[in-house]
Amino acid sequence: MTLPALLQVLASGLLMGLLYALIAVGLSLIFGLMDVVNFAHGEFLMTAMYVVFGLWLVTALDPVLLVPVTAAVLFAAGAFVYLAVIRFAMRAKANIGMVQIFATFGLAILIQGLAQFLFSPDYRSIPTSWLGNRTLAIGDVFLPLPQVFGGLISLLAFAGLYLLMNRTDLGKALEATREDQGAVALVGIDRNKVFALGWGLGSALVGLAGAVLAIFYYIHPQVGGPFALIAYVVVALGGFGSVFGALAAGLIVGLVEAFAATLLPPAMKSIAVYLLYLGVVFLRPRGLFGRL
Amino acid sequence: MTVNRRGILLGTVAAALFGRAAPALAAQEIVIGAVYPTSGPNAQIGVDARHALETAVDIVNAVHDIDLPTAKSEGIAGLGGARIRLVFADHQGDPQKGRAEAERLITQDKVVAVIGAFHSSVSSTVSVTCERYGVPYMCADSSSPSLHRRNLKFFFRPSAHDELFSLAMFDFLDAQRAAGMKVETVALFHEDTIFGTDSSNVQRKLAGDRGYDIAVDIKYRANSPSLTSEVQQLKSADADVLMPSSYTTDAILLVRTMGELGYKPKNILAQAAGFSEKAVFDAAGEKLDGLISRASFSLDLAAKRPSIAYVNERFKARAGRDLNDNTSRQFMALLILADALDRAKSVEGEKVRAALAGTNIPAERTIMPWSNCAFGPDGQNTGADPVLIQYLGGKWVTVFPEAVAVAGAKWPMAS
Repeated sequence: MTLPALLQVLASGLLMGLLYALIAVGLSLIFGLMDVVNFAHGEFLMTAMYVVFGLWLVTALDPVLLVPVTAAVLFAAGAFVYLAVIRFAMRAKANIGMVQIFATFGLAILIQGLAQFLFSPDYRSIPTSWLGNRTLAIGDVFLPLPQVFGGLISLLAFAGLYLLMNRTDLGKALEATREDQGAVALVGIDRNKVFALGWGLGSALVGLAGAVLAIFYYIHPQVGGPFALIAYVVVALGGFGSVFGALAAGLIVGLVEAFAATLLPPAMKSIAVYLLYLGVVFLRPRGLFGRL
Repeated sequence: MTVNRRGILLGTVAAALFGRAAPALAAQEIVIGAVYPTSGPNAQIGVDARHALETAVDIVNAVHDIDLPTAKSEGIAGLGGARIRLVFADHQGDPQKGRAEAERLITQDKVVAVIGAFHSSVSSTVSVTCERYGVPYMCADSSSPSLHRRNLKFFFRPSAHDELFSLAMFDFLDAQRAAGMKVETVALFHEDTIFGTDSSNVQRKLAGDRGYDIAVDIKYRANSPSLTSEVQQLKSADADVLMPSSYTTDAILLVRTMGELGYKPKNILAQAAGFSEKAVFDAAGEKLDGLISRASFSLDLAAKRPSIAYVNERFKARAGRDLNDNTSRQFMALLILADALDRAKSVEGEKVRAALAGTNIPAERTIMPWSNCAFGPDGQNTGADPVLIQYLGGKWVTVFPEAVAVAGAKWPMAS
């Protein structure tokens, strides 16, 4: 492999990895907060992509400008899903894990069905944007601008998340609720409110990822599946509930995938990712940065 | 209208009680099963297939003054004007779901024949189920060459398979080379299910036989989130002709990634599938100007055959898009089946099969660029000549073979 080719694979892997991390971190956040694995995570991503697409159709604004709006819409959607579905699923008296799995899994099927009904199963894409189809060429290394933008958004989101978790009351409330749900009620923290905020925050993060993805990827009711699968691997690899584990694991998965596709037959590139995951499960079941 | 639980319950009970009596009442109705993906990644294919098949049913059931089989009569004349009714089933691109749905259509809906299935992998299981029950299977739009080589008696494929398509592609490349163009290396890029695998096997063999170097041969994972590394390899190989065998999702991603990595192939010669879908050209049409795809259909043939424009207009009113490679084949498969039913004067599986085997429809009575429609003993149409079409200025132009070409090919595509 020549040096430019190596640098290209490295750059592509890192950019994709930052995006994988951003997709996964919301999942990890929600799990860390309340031990619920959201099986509709890929559908949240898909919803965000359709939100961008719909807003772009109606307002004709550039998708780059629509990124924060989409995150806000997804924040509301996430909080709503908690208040309308998850809150009730958590009241189950027996087999609470199963009830949560089926509730979010059912939600996934519902969102997919709704998307196909409302938007038809046609493949959509946003053909023009400021960033679309543009590439930053450094020597022989090509950095597609939409993905560079995605990488920056991802880094900003992680920085923001770090500040939020460590420097604000909301962050302390999230951390406290994660430590002991019963005890926080005694000091006057409304558990439901914190959980709703957590779901909103987790969804807003995947909303950011979806909004960026919509600039350069196709939009389809089933688009979330492959990304969600990678997100589960990222979360498990980084450690369930660990926000910065998700960042590290996202980068690792992106790099492993990029190098595997170059060194192995490309049809087998996911095998490398899952082998890595299996290795972690055997050797360090709580993930790289897990606290469980 | 209010629907309550009791109403649904009563309805179900009534359907169960009287369901058996229903076929006797509907003697004037022929039920045909259609197995297509209407959910899952290729759901749009199924949605369009429904429009195509319903357009065909309308041509059969109502009187139309065009020269297509069973168009001029009301219903199917040979069966006393019986009308066709379609029952759709969703296979989601899954061979096992396809098999189960075919079984349900045959045993419960009592379909006379089954049409399907887009995915070659699904056609493979559905056709075996049909064979077991002695029900004809019209393989409208699955193109894997292995499908008609399994000694199935009830399998019929009116359109070409990937061997014929790939042959046409290499005939075209030979013609370019003979005309003094530089065509030495090809890059194979194919997805990892039966479609991509079969297609690339044939292309690999033909490239070897005819003296083209394979610069790179990439089998990639279908529906992958990223194709960056794969495209990187295509770019470093920079072959004279890129030959992709991809469904819609991967086709969109491939074209966009090529743009992002600054790779502009000298020529693209595609095994249709995704590259005949509108969504791909909506997403990145400007990058595909000059792309050549194999096809079973060319809309510009309408200048010679008025029935094509007539059918296209009717299809477009339903689907909001022009007939393409897939929908034209689905439409024609149903008409060929209706023609056989007309001659069989029966809905018995064995008799319909015999009538299908005796099919002989001249080219002018189809909407396809075939020489005719007549099935060999393996159920493959022997007159299914493929064409090559080129995407120029937002339109498809037939460029090969010369007999049906409207214009010469622009080669290399980016010149």
